[in-house]
Amino acid sequence: MNEKTMQVTPSVDAETDASAASLSDRPIAIQVNDLDFYYGKSQALHGINMVFPERSVTGMIGPSGCGKSTLLRVLNRMYDLYPGQRATGEVIFSGQNILGSGLDLNALRSRVGMVFQKPTPFPMSIYDNIAFGIRLHERVSRSEMDGRVEDALRRVALWPEVKDRLQASATALSGGQQQRLCIARTIAVRPEVILLDEPTSALDPVSTARIEELLDELKTEFTIAIVTHNMQQAARCADQVAFFYLGELVEVDSTARMFTAPRESRTQDYITGRFG
Amino acid sequence: MMAQAVSPAAQRPQRSNFQAVQRRITDKLATGLSWLAMLIVVFVLGSILWTLLKNGLPGLTASLFTHSMGAPDTGGGLANAIVGSLLQTGLAILLGAPAGLLTGIFLAEYGANTKLARTVRFVSDMLLSAPSILIGLFIYMLLVEPFGHFSGFSGAAALSLMAMPIIVRTTEDMLRLVPVSMREAGIALGAAKWRVILFICVRAARGGIMTGVLLAIARVAGETAPLLFTSLGNSEWSLDMRRPMASLPVAIYQYAGSAYQDWMQQAWTGALLVTVGVLIINIVVRVGIRGGRT
Amino acid sequence: MGNEPAHTVTRYDQELDRLRGLVARMGGLVERQTARAIAAVVDQDEDAALEPPELDTEVDALEREAESLAIRILALRAPMAVDLRVIIAVLKITGDFERIGDYASSIARRALKVEPLDGALSFGALRNMARLVQENLHSAIEAMVNNDSECAMQVWNSDTAIDELYTAMFRELVTYMMEDPRKISPCIHLLFVAKNLERIGDHATNIAERVYYAVTGEMLPALRPRGGAAKKSG
Repeated sequence: MNEKTMQVTPSVDAETDASAASLSDRPIAIQVNDLDFYYGKSQALHGINMVFPERSVTGMIGPSGCGKSTLLRVLNRMYDLYPGQRATGEVIFSGQNILGSGLDLNALRSRVGMVFQKPTPFPMSIYDNIAFGIRLHERVSRSEMDGRVEDALRRVALWPEVKDRLQASATALSGGQQQRLCIARTIAVRPEVILLDEPTSALDPVSTARIEELLDELKTEFTIAIVTHNMQQAARCADQVAFFYLGELVEVDSTARMFTAPRESRTQDYITGRFG
Repeated sequence: MMAQAVSPAAQRPQRSNFQAVQRRITDKLATGLSWLAMLIVVFVLGSILWTLLKNGLPGLTASLFTHSMGAPDTGGGLANAIVGSLLQTGLAILLGAPAGLLTGIFLAEYGANTKLARTVRFVSDMLLSAPSILIGLFIYMLLVEPFGHFSGFSGAAALSLMAMPIIVRTTEDMLRLVPVSMREAGIALGAAKWRVILFICVRAARGGIMTGVLLAIARVAGETAPLLFTSLGNSEWSLDMRRPMASLPVAIYQYAGSAYQDWMQQAWTGALLVTVGVLIINIVVRVGIRGGRT
Repeated sequence: MGNEPAHTVTRYDQELDRLRGLVARMGGLVERQTARAIAAVVDQDEDAALEPPELDTEVDALEREAESLAIRILALRAPMAVDLRVIIAVLKITGDFERIGDYASSIARRALKVEPLDGALSFGALRNMARLVQENLHSAIEAMVNNDSECAMQVWNSDTAIDELYTAMFRELVTYMMEDPRKISPCIHLLFVAKNLERIGDHATNIAERVYYAVTGEMLPALRPRGGAAKKSG
């Protein structure tokens, strides 16, 4: 265990202490050690050390360009798509350094799913949007597929709205529905970790609330990392929050602690709106 | 306090009436010129269509579609030319579309900005603007001279060479319009790149790609020059692609230059058929695009 | 509380400043109420006795104003971290001030019914206790205005002395009443005055706790040092 990731939380109040303790008691889903990241020659992340506890929500906040999205894209090796981007250090996921070479990236991405800022329904039917991901990794019978699709849609509370038009084009859904479809598509593959990159920034408040409610349910089963510009959202959804600034992890702590009594003045200045 | 009390409205410069009048005149002038230019174009197009209809419609008889070309005043039709055109264009698209699609996909998805891709793109764009007679000559050297005779195949090959760059360009452009987030979403599900391209990107761009193919058909269906040195033309009924083959544009070319009244009539009617065919394809494309956007 | 860089939104800073101004004014008022109430008792000053109840209306008005402003900021600005702590502290401190004002008024109303007991018990013990309470209240308000967590901690620790003085006074007065039943009435009044002073001291300690939390983000332990055997009561 890395020293920097194992700080003892000073007393804030009993409840905060309890939640912090239960977080550090959790098994670790992903552990990041001394991670540096480069876009070509410019370094975007500097020596990141943090852990993502299992079955909890980790919120990642910070001003634009602070590296929070970059870190998210390291966790499923999305950066591999782009030549010139590289990461050094270690990201340990189920006992393996996923930054190592020779890793089956498609298998990794089936275990670490991702949902994007803008809803990205594929140009196919609602049913096929869900089935697409499942078919990539498993051979399932028609009836089993029906069950999996229904289950995924039920999990995101989209089933009642779309059950009569599963064969309709997914692009005809509203923005909020599309985003829930994308989450359904991700969980249908049965990943262990779900990465969300500002998943509600393009949605109205009601759709946003639904997604947040959904996260609360999903975290009983998945490890969730969410990048958000909306501090209130991090406060509402996350169990622990990490604050990034200029490519550095300034502070990571339980959400209650971060938003009531952060340790670092940079964190405080950011979350109280005293920046720049 | 006094300085702050001045409202922004009061600080705005007074615009003279003269400027307003001047601006209105300029506006009217520009609008008028645009209308004039538009009317000229519509008039030219209209007169072409009118001439075609006036001269072509009288020859639009059933025998045109049932009889092959024949000597003047023997009641010949254009059946072999119509079928020849359909066959050659069809084969040209069959050959050109897959090649064009794959090249377009390569340029958009794999090549990106490599030297190879830049070269391919340049050559393809050259082909797009190359004089069609040159393409005919090229195929003549390649497929006619070595075999010693003209053929429908070589005609189709020449046409496919014309269709390909159009399909390459539209395919690449349409694929580039597919948002990066869509690709990343596919990759994020653990899909291999080729799957993402084939099942997501091409699907998302299929409207545009189809448009490109249809435009390519419309473009090559009316080509004469590349066929002169390749399929040559044939006045007999023939479905053998290995032999010289008739086509509408070449038939029009031959008949229009003749001195016989009924050949000239058939040339007009053939021209009408080609134009209407291309028009229909264009309309299909327009409707398709509108349908594809919703 | 006031040492941070300015907010990006200037209006936010202005609102927070106004809120701080309101509690600071409340602090000044209740300090004066307490001082006058004590003077009314130990100097038997009739004019002084009138003042605390009069000031009370102003204190109450300030409390309402500060409260509604704090709620406004909470609702509209979604304050976080130090801002959140300050606003929560303000909400509670205004409550403490309001209670202190009530106790001061209550002391003032009793002031003239207390009479110095000849001989054994003069106002000496009460004076001592009053001095300590005033000191603590003053320090707590100073800590609040200056964001001084050390000063707050000192106040929090020194409540012990007040508690001990009160317990001693309580024992003495009980003994006195048992010795001379005729003195029960003035002794009871004196006891109530002492009790109210002790409560003011408690509220000063509460204020110190809240200041400490607002400044540091840490909560002081639930049990604070207590002096004497008197159990805490309403």
